Amino acid sequence: MPKKIEITNNIRRLRFFANEMTQQELAEKAGVSRQTIIAVEAGKYSPSLELAFRIADAFGVAIGEVFDYTVVGETKK
Amino acid sequence: MSTQEKRTIVMMITGALVLAAYCIYAFGQVNAGAVMPGDLKFWARTMLIFIGIGVAATIVIQIVYAILLSVGIAVSKKIQDQNFKDEEIEKSIKAEMVEDEMDKLIELKANRVGVTLGGFGFVAALILVLLGYSTAVMLNVIFISFSVGSIIEGFVQLYYYRKGIRHA
Repeated sequence: MPKKIEITNNIRRLRFFANEMTQQELAEKAGVSRQTIIAVEAGKYSPSLELAFRIADAFGVAIGEVFDYTVVGETKK
Repeated sequence: MSTQEKRTIVMMITGALVLAAYCIYAFGQVNAGAVMPGDLKFWARTMLIFIGIGVAATIVIQIVYAILLSVGIAVSKKIQDQNFKDEEIEKSIKAEMVEDEMDKLIELKANRVGVTLGGFGFVAALILVLLGYSTAVMLNVIFISFSVGSIIEGFVQLYYYRKGIRHA
């Protein structure tokens, strides 16, 4: 059985370094509602690959800099 | 509370009002003795009328809600800043009304719950017929279970908006 993974993100930190970009601004850039950005940032919703790329694109960084994962019950090396 | 949550609540209230109106009218007619036992035409007509009312009410309320929301956003933006450009206001309205992948996923999962409840109602209606209840009872159980299912669907949507949702 595959191990359970938990997706984490750095959206809050990236918003801070992008001149304190608001959630609304990010939502507009990614083409989703503010509600969705709030949910993604809080880890309550794992976005589709397409949206993940659009969020990364909004910050001008690689997708791996926005999203990461941890295997539940393990610490990443 | 987000626009999507408010819209869901409005739709739930509409559904509940239409169901209540159906119950008051249909069972009122039955209590008044205006419906002959086995008069399936009465039930078919009444249900079709109320399905039509439900669809029309949903469309009208969606339009009214969209207008009120747009006016509300425009007024609040103008109060904030008199020189706020119309294009900016339009952009804010579009951003508020956008329906994205999370909304669709929530709708899909909630819809599954609603349809399942309707399915249970259908099975219960068949069992009631086997137990000797009339066809009118069967029709009502099916109609009411699908109506209640759509209201529960709204609760499920609200739950997912609050708790969050996973793809799996």
